[in-house]
Amino acid sequence: MQRNNIKVIPGALVCEESKLRGDITIGAGTIIHPNASIIAEAGPIIIGENCLIEEQVKIIHRLPFDQQNKDTTPVLIIGSHNVFEVDCTVEAPKIGNHNVFESKCFVGNKVTVSNGCIIGAGCKVTEEQILKENICIFGSNCQMRECIDKPAVSTRKQLLLI
Amino acid sequence: MELQDINYSKNDYVETASGNKVCRQTVLCGSQNIILQGKVIVQAEAIIRGDLANVRTGRYCIISKEAVLRPPYKKFSKGVAFFKLSIGDHVFIGERTLVNATDIGNYVHIGKNCVIGRRCVLRDCCVIEDNTVLAPETVVPAFTRYGGSPGAYISHVPECQADLMVDYTRSYYQHFQPTKLI
Amino acid sequence: MSYITGPEIVKYACTCGLLKPLPELYFCRHCSQIRCSFCLCHAVDSFFCGKCSENIPSAEARHKKNRCANCVICPSCQQELSTRVASKGPINPDDAKSAVKKSYYLSCHFCHWTSRDVGIPDQPSATGCWPERENVHINRLQEVLDVYQDIMLSQQQQKENSKKKRGKFVSYTDRTGVTASALRRRIGIPDIPHAKIKKPKPLDPAIAKSEVEELPEDIFTEPLKLMEITTIDQRLMQPESQPLTVDKLFPIHKQLTIKRSLRCRTCEHNVCKPEYNPTSVKFKIQLFAYYYIPEIRFVTVEPLRAGQTSELIIKFTNPTQHQTTITIFDLDLEEQEKYVEEQKLFDIIDNFEQAMSLEEKQQLSLPSLVMSSGSQPSSMYSLQSRQPSVIVKPRKINQAVNCNVAIPESTFILPPRDDAAEYDDSSDVHNIEDDPKLVKWRKSNKAFIKLAVTPAADLKIDDEVVCGFTMQHIYTNVIPAIVENMPHKYDHKVRVFFRLGKIVGSE
Repeated sequence: MQRNNIKVIPGALVCEESKLRGDITIGAGTIIHPNASIIAEAGPIIIGENCLIEEQVKIIHRLPFDQQNKDTTPVLIIGSHNVFEVDCTVEAPKIGNHNVFESKCFVGNKVTVSNGCIIGAGCKVTEEQILKENICIFGSNCQMRECIDKPAVSTRKQLLLI
Repeated sequence: MELQDINYSKNDYVETASGNKVCRQTVLCGSQNIILQGKVIVQAEAIIRGDLANVRTGRYCIISKEAVLRPPYKKFSKGVAFFKLSIGDHVFIGERTLVNATDIGNYVHIGKNCVIGRRCVLRDCCVIEDNTVLAPETVVPAFTRYGGSPGAYISHVPECQADLMVDYTRSYYQHFQPTKLI
Repeated sequence: MSYITGPEIVKYACTCGLLKPLPELYFCRHCSQIRCSFCLCHAVDSFFCGKCSENIPSAEARHKKNRCANCVICPSCQQELSTRVASKGPINPDDAKSAVKKSYYLSCHFCHWTSRDVGIPDQPSATGCWPERENVHINRLQEVLDVYQDIMLSQQQQKENSKKKRGKFVSYTDRTGVTASALRRRIGIPDIPHAKIKKPKPLDPAIAKSEVEELPEDIFTEPLKLMEITTIDQRLMQPESQPLTVDKLFPIHKQLTIKRSLRCRTCEHNVCKPEYNPTSVKFKIQLFAYYYIPEIRFVTVEPLRAGQTSELIIKFTNPTQHQTTITIFDLDLEEQEKYVEEQKLFDIIDNFEQAMSLEEKQQLSLPSLVMSSGSQPSSMYSLQSRQPSVIVKPRKINQAVNCNVAIPESTFILPPRDDAAEYDDSSDVHNIEDDPKLVKWRKSNKAFIKLAVTPAADLKIDDEVVCGFTMQHIYTNVIPAIVENMPHKYDHKVRVFFRLGKIVGSE
């Protein structure tokens, strides 16, 4: 039985047409656009500050098959300054700070995302792995490269002012 | 192949004076900034974000289900500005496609599930295949067919593309009829 | 739309024997024949860069090896690079008035590669001057290329000299008159070599070494860092350096695209000529088959069963401004084969005649390719600046037809295309009497036709069914120059093939 328990900290901007289900805490400065859906199935979701969640995004906190029926309820903590672009599907159990999930990407529920990663548009990351910091995944083959230079982070903050 | 009649429920769609057929279940933000030139079909659950910047479509455009038209932004040193999105005549945009481009020419055919990157420029008479991801700021020249991820040149498009698209969009509009209740 | 995305169901046979869908065919009005991109002569009209949409003159394009001077592409994902500003603070921290120094670097939006990854310093100006990677082998390559060019030049001059030695007698009416070298030859003094004819310099050959560097020991023990190794695609984009590691990938200049004009090989008239402007989609000359040949579109077919007759409905559209009558004939592939065989015989006869005339002329060292292509006009041997096109020989249509079409006896009329009709709601004023068994429905210049098809009895389930017929339509010639020579209207036949789908069920 799920009851919606949504806590929106002042400073956040949540659109009415978005779909929020479960125990969700939304940090200050976060913007959730219409048609986004955040589903906290397996446990509560805590979204950090200054995140940007655009249209048609699906953030689903769901346990992988082999780990169901455990006693502890895992909490999905999403860090701050993350950007979820249009129509991405993220089921990762742990997300750090300053990540960018580009349009139409898919992150499976065995992938742990650290800080500063960029999951490129259209990429499907499903294998069980821990993504190193500052990794960029791009292309239809999900090629990986390390991004040493990241000047784009600060300007994304300004984007959230809209 | 000849097109079949595509029927829609009359209650779902609003038909304007200039012949635009817009579904009621779309998300049209900032509708005062959205200009649909005439005979445009916007199908169910499409999202057009006119609140970010002006969105302008030409005549006989078809925006399929769940497509997202989102004006692109540009980062300046002093902040972020959204640029207008203008689409030409006789353009077909496939289902679930995300369009972040700044300029789409006439007679363009965009497949389904595509991601058109930020500030892309698509010239007249180009074809974007299904499931393409176009990198931001790509310029797709005329009469080319782009596909894959990253979007790269695949092949040449026959020169009568303009007439083919005119024919296709016109007949799509003619066949898009409300279901007749007997 | 099926021309853009879907399967190709209807294909027309070009005069060269290839099957193509209608938008890919062209119609030469002077020969009154269908042509396709295979049998047309392609010529480059102009070069332009896809990104900056600027025309590049052909001499510059050749000099830059068909690459744009301004635009660069990312070495790791081959997408276009854009310049970004990085502004450093004021040079003098005490003096707030000193200008903020702006430096530019290249960055890729797709894979987030930047020019700083490779070590290219930021440039002070936005428009170009990105340092190129120097090719280590450039001197040796240049030497080899120079030697080959000299050899080519000297061979050309030898040909011209031997051509001049036609008669046994020195012609006094020749352009240059009695030259010094001719005089010398007559007297018997050895010829002084002409200053401009260079003898090719012999090149130091490359020395083969038998000793190879040993593999370092740690190649077996050191763990592989996949992210630092370049992929084969990335490596081969830069054939001069072929870097093994990612930190040596330099940006590459973007390749140019072309606009091409198409020309019929038999009558040397242009069939398609685009405009000069790279962004324009108009044409100066556009003789597409889509505008002259009635378009046949597949509407529907009853489920096909081997040996049983099914109904096929197709739609005919008349694209011209003149009324046309359509007659359907049998496919008659044997006639096409006979035509191809006849053409081959003509070629053999032509070749024989040329071979006979060649023996009388002097032996010329032309490349062997010329001899094998066969149907060449003999004027090829006089070195004109523009060579007449090599005609593509027609070939047998390579499509097996396994379905029979019941040929209707009656013909039907298609009215001309009327662009104003879509605004005018009044019904057709044509009053055409149709055979109701043939024409199912018609509207302005379109008609739906019913045909009976019978797949062959020996086909199994899931076999692809292909049928075809010959369509004859009345083509009205509007070129004023030719109207006197040729009849104003004449019948034009074209073979059409349909891929109807698979057999479901059986008798």
